[in-house]
Amino acid sequence: MHSVKRLCLAHFWVAFAFFAAACAIGTWQMWVRSPLGASVGTPGQYYMLVTAHGVALAFVLTTFFIMGFGYFVATTALDRQLPGKAWAWGAYWLAVVGVVVAFAPIMNGQASVLYTFYPPLTGSAWFYIGLVLLVVASWIWAVLMMVAMTAWKRENPGRPVPLAMFATVANAVMWLWTTVGVAVQLLFQVIPAALGLVHTIDVGLSRTLFSWTLHAIVYFWLIPAYIAFYTMVPRAAGGRLYSDTMGRLTFILFLVYSLPVGLHHLLMDPEHGNATKFIQVVLTAFVSVPTLLTIFTITASLEIAGRLRGGRGPFGWIATLPWDRPMVLATGLSFVMLGFGGFGGLINMGYGMNAMVHNTSWVTAHFHLIFGGSVVIMYFAICYEIWPRLTGREHPTLSLLRLQLWSWFVGMMVMTLPWHWLGLQGQWRRVANFNYADPIIAGWGPWVIVSLIGGIILLASALLFLRNLAVLHRGAVLAVARPLYAIAVHPPQRVPAVLNSFGLWNVLVLVLMLVAYGLPIAQFLIEPSPSAIVHRMR
Amino acid sequence: MSDSHETPSIDRRLLDQPWRFWSTVAVAGTLLGGIILGALIIPVVQGRSAGLDAYTAICRALGILPGSPAQPQPSDRVQRTPVSQVVWTSELLHILARADPARGRTKALESCAACHGETGIAVAPDVPHLAGQSGPAIYKQLSDYRTGSRAHDLMAGIARALDETALADIAAYYAGRPMRNPNPATLAPAPAEIITLVELGDPRRGIPPCASCHRAGSGGPIETPVLAEQRDEYFIQQINLYASGQRRNDLYARMRTIAAQLTPSEIAGLAAYYRAGFR
Ligand code: HEC
Ligand code: HEC
Ligand code: HEM
Ligand SMILES: [Cu+2]
Repeated sequence: MHSVKRLCLAHFWVAFAFFAAACAIGTWQMWVRSPLGASVGTPGQYYMLVTAHGVALAFVLTTFFIMGFGYFVATTALDRQLPGKAWAWGAYWLAVVGVVVAFAPIMNGQASVLYTFYPPLTGSAWFYIGLVLLVVASWIWAVLMMVAMTAWKRENPGRPVPLAMFATVANAVMWLWTTVGVAVQLLFQVIPAALGLVHTIDVGLSRTLFSWTLHAIVYFWLIPAYIAFYTMVPRAAGGRLYSDTMGRLTFILFLVYSLPVGLHHLLMDPEHGNATKFIQVVLTAFVSVPTLLTIFTITASLEIAGRLRGGRGPFGWIATLPWDRPMVLATGLSFVMLGFGGFGGLINMGYGMNAMVHNTSWVTAHFHLIFGGSVVIMYFAICYEIWPRLTGREHPTLSLLRLQLWSWFVGMMVMTLPWHWLGLQGQWRRVANFNYADPIIAGWGPWVIVSLIGGIILLASALLFLRNLAVLHRGAVLAVARPLYAIAVHPPQRVPAVLNSFGLWNVLVLVLMLVAYGLPIAQFLIEPSPSAIVHRMR
Repeated sequence: MSDSHETPSIDRRLLDQPWRFWSTVAVAGTLLGGIILGALIIPVVQGRSAGLDAYTAICRALGILPGSPAQPQPSDRVQRTPVSQVVWTSELLHILARADPARGRTKALESCAACHGETGIAVAPDVPHLAGQSGPAIYKQLSDYRTGSRAHDLMAGIARALDETALADIAAYYAGRPMRNPNPATLAPAPAEIITLVELGDPRRGIPPCASCHRAGSGGPIETPVLAEQRDEYFIQQINLYASGQRRNDLYARMRTIAAQLTPSEIAGLAAYYRAGFR
């Protein structure tokens, strides 16, 4: 483990402390939105806490988890020391300071602008400055990942980079591209507005820059789950990875196609022409390819495992899989949620259907299911897998781990399925309280209460998760060393250079971004649109 | 992220060649396909059924010309009748930001103090207090008097005699007088339904909370006036003018819509609520 244990644990505990607190806030939100909490809290408090919930989960949980996981992979998959460990600790403290600086104004009610910022509304400049610090810290992490891989390649000329590390670096490279949009938006538009240096803000440009980040950031959050699918699940199931090449292609496709597609979040916005939206929707269709590749490859890998364990017939191998192992169970549950969520995603992607669900609860339900559900459940499984390696102690029992994964799955389904349904009926997202006296809205009440029950199950599950990890810090059962990463059916001896490095792919990303975002951004500079007056929250 | 430090042999490089070639072709192909379909074929076909020539349709699809390639008319041909001539451009905001309160004070003493008081505390009950009123609100109302968007014989004449910078200067002067805020110590106890209107509104009648715009820092429209410590006579009069449509210079009819829903007792209660706490 080359002594990054404390570094990884420090990252993970920040991530999960914010995660648990945010789940409690989320449940409160659901209560306030339901008929049961109609007189609880003011809209001001609601938006303050939605901002806290969104920022904690979308920015803090994810960034800290991914950084910690990256350090773990860089030392275990490459089996060498982490280069620049002092930098890694520096980045950690920078990120912690950033989070404190961002959360102080949120909890003070001075930054209730939601995690997507919503210009021309602006909150305290400290909120944005704190987030910039967090992003800068993650940049340091991204560079360290690339340095670690390059150093390994120098020591192992011609050999394929282990898949887990290749994927981690793909994510780091993608993250550097991804954050350009939001960084430009914050540094040149939002922070000057928040500081009072400018009085107007070009909202169209601002939304366009944010959309640059908005899709790829979701894949940044998702890739750890896919790393687990490819490199941990086959081994946990007792089998082998069906194809290492498929894995490399998947992560490369994520890098290439996650970025030039963000305009699909602006399909209802007036500032872009139909053709530029269309081009990005076509490219969006291609980001489903890596997910389909993954479903295929992982199912094939699981089938290998199931048949090795004696499964027969077209479906018999499913029953023989070791479902009692957390990693395997989490994968099964994750795939079910991915199925429902992926179907919802196809609807969001279609221009006409998107028009019907735009800005409704459908959207919030969708990303809770696919991100809070299928992705976060894999974060849990990853932690259950690596915590014994970090603390040197074994889980005293697996049944509480299974209970936690099942309850997260059940809670997420119970919460999000009715939430989708409400969206289809036109329930707005980001609304603090509904007038249940209105006969049309009255019919929504029971469904929101069902969602609230789902939220309570999720909160209980989140607390159980913390407990399951915490016991490993003082338990008596010592961990036995066992291999973590899966071996491929045909372990690659060498792979084409394009599947072992990112030079060509960066060039292609550049070309795609120039075409996809060139005109949409340039139009604001060629013919500036009427700017909106900055609305300061102070 | 390149392999420069590896020394790939000739045949290894040959082996890699097709990978490079075909991945570039695949990515370029999807991109080109998207462009041809989205920027060429679809707009031309859509434009034909909308009676547009190919060039116009393509320009519209790319966002270079306004309008949709699938619709004959840009939808904004309709005649607009603005309720106010004030447009919050960044130039205007700069004029307001650069205004000079000292010059404003001289002019205010000359032509406003007789009615609105030297410091903005008015004497007569139907004259509004201006002390601590927001600068953009004062500016907007003066401009509206000047252009006739808000009708009042006296104020129209007075505002027409002033130029743009004078308006900004005077606005800055009165806005700079001590800020008003309801003073909790002297706040009259308000009935619960009035507090509810202020804090939560009444969704049943489509009334948003007054505080969602009229409280400092709430993020309401820039021209939202400060109501705290305003005279109740003036307050009631203005709500009634909005309700009857005699005052119609509020953008998007924001206040007309709200005022028309309020009952006389609510108006009186709100006026008392906002008057409270005057020093
Ligand atoms: C003769 C008395 C008189 C004088 C002099 C006068 N005002 Fe007024 N002002 C009024 C009255 C009465 C109203 C309420 C008009 C209405 O109902 O529309 C008013 C309204 C206003 C308003 C609208 C306030 C609001 O909250 O909507 C502003 C701003 C204003 N005056 C500014 C000025 C300035 C600046 C001057 C000097 C250049 C000035 N007034 C001179 C009597 C006067
Ligand atoms: C959506 C924002 C919004 C809400 C909500 C709102 N107002 Fe207003 N109000 C405004 C704006 C903007 C103006 C100035 C309109 C104009 O340009 O003439 C205004 C003007 C007024 C005025 C005239 C003040 C003056 O100095 O001339 C009164 C009185 C008033 N509002 C009372 C209320 C009350 C009472 C409520 C709650 C029942 C309320 N408003 C809710 C935005 C709002
Ligand atoms: C106990 C579990 C949870 C509950 C009860 C819950 C509930 C909610 C509710 C009610 C909202 C506000 C929706 C609106 O106003 O329209 C919300 C927003 C949000 N949730 Fe959750 N949530 C939970 C867990 C999660 C998880 C695990 C994630 C991601 C990892 C997440 C990410 C978000 C984000 C990013 C927003 C911001 C949406 C916005 O700004 O509009 N939530 N959540
Ligand atoms: Cu997206």
